[in-house]
Amino acid sequence: MVDVGAIIINGAISGAVFSLLALGFTLIYGVSGVVNLAHGVFFMLGAYMFSSFSSLLGEEVEGILVVSPLALLLSVILAAITVAIVAAIVYKLAIGPVIEDEVAVLVVTVSIAIVFQQIILLLFTPAFHPVPSLLRGYTIFWGLTLTYQRVMSFVVSLVLFAILWIFIAKTKIGGAMRAVSQDREVAMLMGVNTERLYMLTMAISGAFAAIAGIFIASTTTGVANAFMWLEPLALSFSIVILGGLGSIKGTIVGGFIIGYSEIIVTTIYPEIGAIVPAVPFGIMLLVLTIRPKGLFGKRIEMEE
Amino acid sequence: MVTTYLRRAYSSFAAHVFDIPPRLLALLLLSFLITLPLTGLNPYVISVMTSANILAIFGASWDLLVGRTGQMSLGHALFFGIGAYSSALLFEFYGLPLWITIPLAVVIGAACGLLIGFPCLRTKGPYLALVSMAFPLILSSIFYFFDDIFKGEFGIRGLPSFFPSLATKDRMLGNYYLTLLLLFISAVILYKIANSHTGIVFVSILDDELASKASGINVTKYKLMAFTISGLFASLAGAAYAHILGVANPPLLSLTWSFVPVIVTFLGGIGTIYGPIIGAYIYYLLDRYFLTIIIEIPYELIYIRLLVFTLIVAIIVIKWPRGIGRFVTDKLEDLQEGREIEEIMAEREKKKKKKQK
Amino acid sequence: MHLLEVENLTKRFGGLTAVNNVTFHVDEGELLGIIGPNGAGKTTLFNIITGFLRPDSGTVKFRGEDVTGLEPHKLVNKGVARTFQVVRPFRHLPVIANVAVALKSPRGSRKIEWLKTTARKALDMLEDVGLTDLMLEPAENIGHGSLKRLEMARALATEPDALMLDEPFGGLNPLETDFLTKSIQRIHLDHPTRGIVIVEHKLYALMKIVHRVIVLHEGEKIAEGKPEEIAKNKKVIEVYMGKATLHA
Repeated sequence: MVDVGAIIINGAISGAVFSLLALGFTLIYGVSGVVNLAHGVFFMLGAYMFSSFSSLLGEEVEGILVVSPLALLLSVILAAITVAIVAAIVYKLAIGPVIEDEVAVLVVTVSIAIVFQQIILLLFTPAFHPVPSLLRGYTIFWGLTLTYQRVMSFVVSLVLFAILWIFIAKTKIGGAMRAVSQDREVAMLMGVNTERLYMLTMAISGAFAAIAGIFIASTTTGVANAFMWLEPLALSFSIVILGGLGSIKGTIVGGFIIGYSEIIVTTIYPEIGAIVPAVPFGIMLLVLTIRPKGLFGKRIEMEE
Repeated sequence: MVTTYLRRAYSSFAAHVFDIPPRLLALLLLSFLITLPLTGLNPYVISVMTSANILAIFGASWDLLVGRTGQMSLGHALFFGIGAYSSALLFEFYGLPLWITIPLAVVIGAACGLLIGFPCLRTKGPYLALVSMAFPLILSSIFYFFDDIFKGEFGIRGLPSFFPSLATKDRMLGNYYLTLLLLFISAVILYKIANSHTGIVFVSILDDELASKASGINVTKYKLMAFTISGLFASLAGAAYAHILGVANPPLLSLTWSFVPVIVTFLGGIGTIYGPIIGAYIYYLLDRYFLTIIIEIPYELIYIRLLVFTLIVAIIVIKWPRGIGRFVTDKLEDLQEGREIEEIMAEREKKKKKKQK
Repeated sequence: MHLLEVENLTKRFGGLTAVNNVTFHVDEGELLGIIGPNGAGKTTLFNIITGFLRPDSGTVKFRGEDVTGLEPHKLVNKGVARTFQVVRPFRHLPVIANVAVALKSPRGSRKIEWLKTTARKALDMLEDVGLTDLMLEPAENIGHGSLKRLEMARALATEPDALMLDEPFGGLNPLETDFLTKSIQRIHLDHPTRGIVIVEHKLYALMKIVHRVIVLHEGEKIAEGKPEEIAKNKKVIEVYMGKATLHA
């Protein structure tokens, strides 16, 4: 018997975190037109940084590392900030110079992704790297066991959506983002410093991906590894295609659709675990064949 | 005489180095590659050069599709792996010798190229990049899933080598010359295609697909052609490689292998045929000889090697978008043109002086 | 039977009706001009006729055959060629190779007679538009006027029965305009059965060479007739002067 309640709740949690991840991807695309193949890397770096910071901030108690909740919270924030800075630097050094050339952007971003993959391999080896839990404890809701950290990831994601929404709708910089995403040249003529705007957007994009990475690595899988940047990339892309490139609303909707799909499929077919790496890419191909235009957004192509 | 104009027009998309026709250069390079191993070269270097030959074919196949026809592929390892596994499976299940399995694998690779081409027809740029990344990953997942057939992690082992009856040292030389021959044939064919009327149509698709359609070109047909040819040569490289290694395993489908033709092509020059060939040699000699033997990077730091080359690719793309090889030849061309203009100016000066007299 | 016949063509983009129930025809040997203020729907009409856009309703017939919505390259091979308002050269290819691409199409290669090679044919095309001395120059290096001429050479390479020119005079200086006018007239004389449709803004250049003009405004055909008649047509003048819109 399928537990509908579990599906509803778990789907919502997955959906929220997936949307958070995909929002980063759609943001940088909508504002600057960059398809960042290294987006999954920020997801990965978030998980690793979180793990490293919490080790740093923890204390050895009888040979076991104990990290206080405060330290964990701090680690999350530090990790997000670090990744945001890294993302901005990556933009400045690698993406900015070639932003006019679509093909170059693809090659450069995938190169950056591999570079970071190798760096992680150098520092942490190919072994699976444990990522500490965010919170201990659980609650029972609707007969379902819910860990506090999963609830937290849901809530925090929603809060971040709200903050982003307000930021884009109400602040001056947010207005600049909207302007640039509609017409870059006019925005430049009106005095918008696109380079700095893009760096900021990239930083936000990276931070969102990093937080999503922390949530998933610490609450769901418990591990990180150097190749974990591919699946988030495929997932982000699928969600954004589904919801429409450059559309925030669409991305969130798309995220929940994909989140629910994943939960439903893994509930009904648990054996799929064997080919899990391929699943996000399979979903991506499926989405691309069904809805290359997305639900809300504008098409990339113009003529025909 | 008029045909020479058109031929010059075709080949102006290649490069002339100091007005030496490319054929002569190619011949010189070929003679060098043929004679070098006979001078008593270290067998390890010979094996590195053998692999470079394979990479050159692989890179050239990628360049035709990406550099010349404009269809991005970040998953070319798909064809490489299909070539390797096809030959391996035909051997494993039917006991066929490699001079049958490899040509069959090539045919399968070409057919897969055609098949993969279809979903890629309507996708462009980033969509195409991600779709192409997906295919080899999905295929290797399928291989892992049906591991009784595909032998999972370790792959299909015990593949026959090319010259089983020869002693090790001679076998290595044999492999080298065989792959060099394959490279020569592939390069000639690819060169002829690239510089033919069809090749010109490929470039028109790269430059402006809409304008190409408006010129009466069935762009779909040519795209599928490019995919098929590319798949053919990539799987040739994969099949040959599998038999030299003796095994066909999942790493051949990895993103790393998909990135190899990118490295090789950007090092040598994109949109040419000679570029990937030069790039393959530069890459492998640097990586497997210089970094491994001369500098001796310790095993724990092995990841640095790919990191270095990927970083180099990123830097090249940022500073010289057409690859270093093109940058060099472009500069040489400019020099050459500059010299030609000087000559024309000098002639005009002479004529003027004659008139004044 | 008309060479090219457009009937009740309509195209909407969201809430905007770009082309509204347009009907006209072109006969063999005719030079038709299509004029109208900016946003009148001229280029959209062009794109529909040449297969780059699908109409919401209406038909396009070529030599009596319904070709509505046929793919662009198929239309070209039937004999309808076009140029683009904003030039679309093949940047990496030299000028002569730009033309050679069109000569690889089924229709283009059919017209290469025995003993004439592709190169010779391509050179002929370049001669027709006066681009022979630039033939080996990469298309990305040549000037705007030359690019416009290259567009035309490429379209002519497929020996179309209906030639559609989208603002061929755009961005040309008076000398180039004069040269192009003469080229079009010569091309017309060389192929008396070919129909030519020209969309243009530069009215003084256009009105000199066409036989008949249709005027578009806000997607509708508001006038049709000889150039002299159209020039005196009050409605047309009003529409251009901005004094009137069709729908208040």
